[in-house]
Amino acid sequence: MPATLFHRFVLIIGFLSLFHAAYSAAQHRSFLRINEQTFTHLPLDIIFQSVGSLFAVMYGVMHIAGDFKEIKASADLENKTWETYRNVPSFYTFNHRGRTFSPFYIHSQHSDESE
Amino acid sequence: MSGSKAKSEKSSTPTVAYSEIAVRNNATVVEYCRTSMAALSGCTAGLLGLTGLHGAAFYIFTVFVLWFMINLKAGSQFNKFFMSRKALLTNGFFGQLFTYILCWTFLYGMVHVY
Repeated sequence: MPATLFHRFVLIIGFLSLFHAAYSAAQHRSFLRINEQTFTHLPLDIIFQSVGSLFAVMYGVMHIAGDFKEIKASADLENKTWETYRNVPSFYTFNHRGRTFSPFYIHSQHSDESE
Repeated sequence: MSGSKAKSEKSSTPTVAYSEIAVRNNATVVEYCRTSMAALSGCTAGLLGLTGLHGAAFYIFTVFVLWFMINLKAGSQFNKFFMSRKALLTNGFFGQLFTYILCWTFLYGMVHVY
């Protein structure tokens, strides 16, 4: 499954949300500093937002990174038929003498006599 | 055949030829995920204000989450894409730890110290 617009959208939203959570945490710290309270832990909504956006970014990155390929060497050979391998262009013959037996063959007598 | 090499899995099972290009491609994809994951989880740990062993526990948690997500992406035919599940979990554990600590301390400083 290649990366779609949806995965890019999730990635961008996740990044913005993570940045917003960081900004909120910084504001919370400055609020505590102004009110001279001690820091125990962040508010729960900031924690949930940051962890959730981390998962969203993870999901987006994993799909944008690329697709896995099959590691078996015979994986791409299995879909081909025997006819594909029997086809050898070096042995093509366009000028076989048997063509004179074809009903559509036009005998060029003029060129023979000129020799 | 060019571009592929044969490796024997175990003595009991028959030899399976793996395509080297595909193996390398999968490793690159996983490495990309793992690096960005270490950076992002470091940023998250920093903004959550984790200190000491809590940060290490968070790192281990994110490594497991990434492993789970890779399993989810590979789906049911896991053996088609990777040779072992355990190597996927443990590869580059300590290498990415330094990326994690870098981002962790940076974001902790940005959010909680200044």
